[in-house]
Amino acid sequence: MIQAGVIGVGQTKYDAKRRDVSMAGLVREAIDNAMLAANLEWDAIDAVILGKAPDMFEGVIMPELYLADAIGAVGKPVLRVHTAGSVGGSTAVIAASHVCSGQFKTVLTVTFEKQSESNATWALSPRYPYSPHINAGAGGYFAPFIREYIRRYEAPEHIGWKVAAKDRQNALKNPLAHLHIPGIDEKMVSDTPMLWEPLRYLESCPSSDGACAMVITAQDQVGSRNVAWIKGMAVRSEGTLSAGRDEVNPQAGIDCAKDIYNQAGIQNPFNEIDCAEIYVPFSWYEPMWLENLGFCDLGEGWKLTDKDATSIDGELPFNMSGGVLSSNPIGASGMIRFGEAALQVMGLAEDHQVEDAKVAMGHAYGGAAQFFAMWIVSSSLD
Amino acid sequence: MSDSKDLLRAPFELAYNYKRSNGPVMSKFFEALGEQKILGTKSSTGKVFSPAAEFDPDTHESLNDMVEVGPGGSIESFSWIEAPQNHHLIKEPFAFALIKLDGADSSMLHMIADCNEADLSIGTRVTAAWSETTTKRITDIKFFILEK
Repeated sequence: MIQAGVIGVGQTKYDAKRRDVSMAGLVREAIDNAMLAANLEWDAIDAVILGKAPDMFEGVIMPELYLADAIGAVGKPVLRVHTAGSVGGSTAVIAASHVCSGQFKTVLTVTFEKQSESNATWALSPRYPYSPHINAGAGGYFAPFIREYIRRYEAPEHIGWKVAAKDRQNALKNPLAHLHIPGIDEKMVSDTPMLWEPLRYLESCPSSDGACAMVITAQDQVGSRNVAWIKGMAVRSEGTLSAGRDEVNPQAGIDCAKDIYNQAGIQNPFNEIDCAEIYVPFSWYEPMWLENLGFCDLGEGWKLTDKDATSIDGELPFNMSGGVLSSNPIGASGMIRFGEAALQVMGLAEDHQVEDAKVAMGHAYGGAAQFFAMWIVSSSLD
Repeated sequence: MSDSKDLLRAPFELAYNYKRSNGPVMSKFFEALGEQKILGTKSSTGKVFSPAAEFDPDTHESLNDMVEVGPGGSIESFSWIEAPQNHHLIKEPFAFALIKLDGADSSMLHMIADCNEADLSIGTRVTAAWSETTTKRITDIKFFILEK
């Protein structure tokens, strides 16, 4: 198979309301940064792959058509990817698959959300006839899964506060992050109002505007560029309400992680992965995914969090950029994880760089914790 | 098959008031409409887009060189609406048309009214008729009329 690598990652400044730009301008800001980082001209792009959350979020149907000029897709193959909150990750995997196919040398991929033009909770909770109106949004939907995790493994409540504070402390090292909360600590988190019991306000992701883009190319196109080599990538899905489904520890997540570890030749992910950008939109998903992704045994995730294993100078840093808890332009949130993992192994993560990061993981999930996308990137091809 | 009247049906209405941020380029285009001016964006190759385009589809460059175009132009294509329905903005027979404004290289989708179908053909000259009140929207151009 053709080896693919990331040669450029571009992001926007994330904020609650990017009223200074149109949707097209927002997407283009990320693309310009990715093209600059990749040191490429438009002629080099063979296809454009765009991802975002449901069209109803902004009310622009098939935005890849409206955005054709902005994403440089006129006259080129263009594909839209759509897998709910995991879409940023799936889009990256699909873009890289285009390169691995041998049919495309260099692919531009971009994801975005402009939540200030819309209302995600409204879009997720239409009032269907003959059905109770849940109006839950994402937080309300995931809160029962989190409660069940806490019950199963007798996890103490401060774990959630700890993750929320840790990711926001990391965000202070990332100038692009939406939330910069000086002095953030566990107490500040625990003092905020309860939104969806057991989740408090500061244990929840913000609603952000932003875009993330990447340029992915084939080995023979790389030249002397700095590359994050894609060593393993996969997507998996499972049914929302399939019989026997374990929402706390979804099988699709377990299988997806095993697949990418096998591809990358990783036997012991905790020891062999230097850092990870994992999709944690609500604090408790850090310990839940530590277990689901095989970094530890079931019930041990919260203990790793509790002993600071996931802090930026810990054994397995999680979400050095501040994560989804600090910036959440939904459609882009997965790609930010994948792009930030690439930046780490390229040594370009600046103030939130993990020293000597050689192997990093990017992860995204979406829907009712049923869609998964993951990749492993490495500084070396071998 | 059972009679469909026996089966329950219910309306499912979906509505949300989206907000748009136009950004620096499209904002200038809409601001100008409020002053009864039509702007376009000019690319480095000299091509002018009106309605304004933020990005050149060919060169991919960001466009922010604003130039005034129109208000006259010629019909590139049209579709005559003999019997307007409730949702149409004009209640008399009119045409939807692609109009290439003077000074522009692209065409604008708008309406042509106060005329007969027989008056229109590809290449016919038209000019903008402005609404009495402006809202900085595309409807500030009420419709196009035959150029005298």
